[in-house]
Amino acid sequence: MLSLRLLWRNWRSGELKLLASALLLAVTVVSAIAIFTQRLEGALVQQSNTFLAADRLVRASGPFDEALFASADAAGVRWAQTIQFSSMTYAGERMHLAAVKAVSAAYPLLGELHISDRAFSRDPAHISAVKHGPGPGEAWVDGRILPLLGIEVGDLIGVGESDLTVTQVIVREPDRGGGFGFFGARVMINTADVAATEVIQPGSRIRYNWLLAAPADRLEPFLSELEGKLSPHQKLVDLKTAQRGLARTLDRGRQFLGLAAMIGLLLAGLAIAIAAGQFARRHTDQVALLKSLGSGAAQIRWLYTQQLLLLALVASLLGLGAGELLQRLISAAVTSVYPVELHFAGPWPYVLGLVSGLLCLLCFALPPLWHLPTVPPIKVLRRELQVDSVSRFSQTALGVVAVFAMVVLYTQNIKLTLTVMLSFFCILAIAAVLALGLLKVGRRLGSRSGSSWRLAWASLLRHRGQTVAQTLVFATAIMLLLVLSVVRSSLIDEWRLKLPEDAPNHFFVNIAPSQVDYVEQLLQGEGLQSAGLYPMVRARLVSINNAEPNEALKQQASILSRESNLSWAPELPSDNVLLQGKWWPELDLNQGHYVSVEQGVAKDLGLKLGDSLGFSVGGLKLAAQVGSIRSVEWDSMRPNFFFLFSPGSLDNYAPTYLTSVFIPPQKKTLLNQLLQQYPTILVIEADLVIEQIQTLSAQVSDGVGLVLVLVLAAGIMVLLAAVNASMDYRLQEAAILRALGSGRRRILLSTALEFFSLGAMAGIVAVIGAEVLLLGLQQWVLQTPLQAHPVLWVAGPLGGGVLVALMGLWASRRVVSAPPMLVLREL
Amino acid sequence: MSHSILDVQHISKTVNTAAGPLCILQDICFSVDRGDSVAIVGASGSGKSTLLGILAGLDQASSGDVLLDGNSLAQLDEEGRAALRAKLVGFVFQSFQLLPGLSALENVMLPLELHGRSDAQQKAEQFLQRVGLEQRLAHYPQQLSGGEQQRVAIARAFASEPSILFADEPTGNLDSANGAKIIELLFELNQEQGTTLILVTHEQRLAQRCQQRIELEAGALLNNSDTQAQEPQPC
Repeated sequence: MLSLRLLWRNWRSGELKLLASALLLAVTVVSAIAIFTQRLEGALVQQSNTFLAADRLVRASGPFDEALFASADAAGVRWAQTIQFSSMTYAGERMHLAAVKAVSAAYPLLGELHISDRAFSRDPAHISAVKHGPGPGEAWVDGRILPLLGIEVGDLIGVGESDLTVTQVIVREPDRGGGFGFFGARVMINTADVAATEVIQPGSRIRYNWLLAAPADRLEPFLSELEGKLSPHQKLVDLKTAQRGLARTLDRGRQFLGLAAMIGLLLAGLAIAIAAGQFARRHTDQVALLKSLGSGAAQIRWLYTQQLLLLALVASLLGLGAGELLQRLISAAVTSVYPVELHFAGPWPYVLGLVSGLLCLLCFALPPLWHLPTVPPIKVLRRELQVDSVSRFSQTALGVVAVFAMVVLYTQNIKLTLTVMLSFFCILAIAAVLALGLLKVGRRLGSRSGSSWRLAWASLLRHRGQTVAQTLVFATAIMLLLVLSVVRSSLIDEWRLKLPEDAPNHFFVNIAPSQVDYVEQLLQGEGLQSAGLYPMVRARLVSINNAEPNEALKQQASILSRESNLSWAPELPSDNVLLQGKWWPELDLNQGHYVSVEQGVAKDLGLKLGDSLGFSVGGLKLAAQVGSIRSVEWDSMRPNFFFLFSPGSLDNYAPTYLTSVFIPPQKKTLLNQLLQQYPTILVIEADLVIEQIQTLSAQVSDGVGLVLVLVLAAGIMVLLAAVNASMDYRLQEAAILRALGSGRRRILLSTALEFFSLGAMAGIVAVIGAEVLLLGLQQWVLQTPLQAHPVLWVAGPLGGGVLVALMGLWASRRVVSAPPMLVLREL
Repeated sequence: MSHSILDVQHISKTVNTAAGPLCILQDICFSVDRGDSVAIVGASGSGKSTLLGILAGLDQASSGDVLLDGNSLAQLDEEGRAALRAKLVGFVFQSFQLLPGLSALENVMLPLELHGRSDAQQKAEQFLQRVGLEQRLAHYPQQLSGGEQQRVAIARAFASEPSILFADEPTGNLDSANGAKIIELLFELNQEQGTTLILVTHEQRLAQRCQQRIELEAGALLNNSDTQAQEPQPC
């Protein structure tokens, strides 16, 4: 096959190597990211679903119909049931209002229960992981209930009317979650024992959870069918609704990987386009010769198409192999650090990798090669003849459409794609103007400096068009790399910021005014810093502007259908921001009570400053005017309230107190001391949830870090391709200079300076572009605070200059090592 | 079969430049018999290479026609002309035009492969042997001297056994000793194969060995003379 022979000869001559490498890299980057992210995402979703102990769950306030269980069995969906309620537990004279959770045999469907045979042990030798709950007649309990009730493992514990044997201490429970639903220590029992406790009576507050797990292809159809069968009191819950903070972490991780894939693709595409352009330039004369030898346009088109397709096939297969290898390395690195189980990614990422190779070639390589068959044969006699190639505009347009289509296909996020692409092209236009401006400035500087500088700038100016084009290419690569690294660090910072090492991890609720001093002293004695004691009054919002809210509003705002916690504070809490209105000192408090409302609730209720709100506090009326609207950082793990009153407003309503505090593991026994002294205080242990979130964030951060390395490789490839593409005329000029007697050092220095100037100019353009692009991303996609990045302004130009200079020197090393005659003869 | 292989009928070539239309060739007429050798001579810029390009079907005349082996080039589109070149024409260029990534053998094989010849390698080896390069089959162009490169180009041109061979300054890049060898080779093969030779040249030595001499000046035919005392052949 002639095209195969030609392909081999072109390969051997080195003309295809750059194109093939760029293509290989494109497929490697795309497939490695696709396979890895798919695997990581699968693992993360599954791992985060262990926070539910299931893939999905149905939450209800009443028991489930047996028919539902049968339908899950029929659909091949695994299920388990948990029943949660508060119940008094007893041992002898002592008692404690515990958070009881009855679990069926299959619980947990995902994740593991960590149990121990002794309380408060953190020694792994004492802890075992199991995939089942307690059997009938058994109770597994939180460690702190043992001293609270004065019992040991093996003793009996009374739950309602039933006596059960404590057989294990619960160290970690996958679906413990946060929330204020049930207070008190955990007592886990088997669902078979629930009836005997006689706790469930008409009117009891019971939460029934039906846990479901199955592969997506079985679960999704089952769920869509199930949704129609659920009553209004039964609600389907996934991670997003159950664990808001976690879901956001995962979303950000996904967004970053999407962005990384897109940038990787853009860079690889750029490298392919440059390599193809270079290939086309070198082959224009060859095509003219082939035509003079009697080849028609059709034969030439067919020959080149076949060669390209063969190249695409080979490069794609190799790229897929390299991508697979690379993602295995990454996966191995990730799994060696974190205990995460990665599953087979499925066929889609592999298909995507292969299709990307072909699409990249079609969209990036074809336009620069398109004119080859139309090269006039007379060019063989008149080499100076200009050939009409496909216009840069059409090439760019085709590339843009291709990238857009591929990225949408890949990220399935049109907003992200549009933001990046639009900003990108605005930046390119501005950058071209900027590069011309920099060239002018450089000329002035160059004319005043030493001879090597003058030589370098003279060369840049002589090829003004090419200089601008190269600056844009370098700038694009540097800009994309800068954007990606900044986004990565800001994401990781954000995760760290959200949950600092000493974030409060325990909440104390229901502290009576008489207990406040004791709690404060206890914490101070242990050297612990609480987030402050907040008074709390439970009340229901009953009127807005003296009228009862209508049904439509009640449907829309869930706060109208339940009790809320009211509090007061003299100062605005540190993580709150006043959005409208004034804080207490600027309000006339003699005019009546004022309340500051959280912005989400204010929006749901349509509240504005000056509106009057009526609350019912255990039958007593409380009226207040909206004095301000504020935002609240709910993820800060500090006590926060929808309604904050001015000091003294709630004095007549018998408040209790609430606080949150960071308690390190070694000091957790203080909880026992506190609860033995005041069993009515409710303690919520959020430390396990926080630990889980932090592990997950660390996994995502590491994954994205490795992906960044891949994209960096693509960026370097673009720089190399661009440097190589410009080498022919540079080599020729340098060889002529050498032939005319210029010393090697001078040529080397001026080449280094030329490339450094190019890289530094590109760096300046890149930093400006990166700031604009980041602005767009921060504002519309990531919704993170806008900020400038001063480090980039140094790193961009300097890094760009040095990197490009090194590559330039490497590519032009031959011109100083080989005799000039040889170089000139080869060109 | 017609006696003449090339019949040039009133061809003119005008190109548009920034300064207005520029006439490169005007009303050129002559014909060439099968197996003859013709030298196109003239000063630089007189239109020699343009004429050669039009005669070989690489370019089109603005007016007039060229009959190549009885085929009107003006009536053919580019694909048709390419097919005709494949069938009838061989080329030798001043700058050799060897593909740098291909060995001497592969360069000679290329046109044969393009024409789908199954005996490409055998034929190429035979012609490389004929030009005295049997020891250099696997050498790449940059490993060969200028004279050797031009011999590869001649082997490539003759390997497809063309009826007519166009040579554009075939000795222009060579020293006189190498130039002389190339001239010898061209005429030997011209004799052996009965190929018609059309040469563009500055070199008197080469022009004088041709049977017919066409002299151009500023795009016009100055003289069409029979260097070996044959009658001039008007249109």
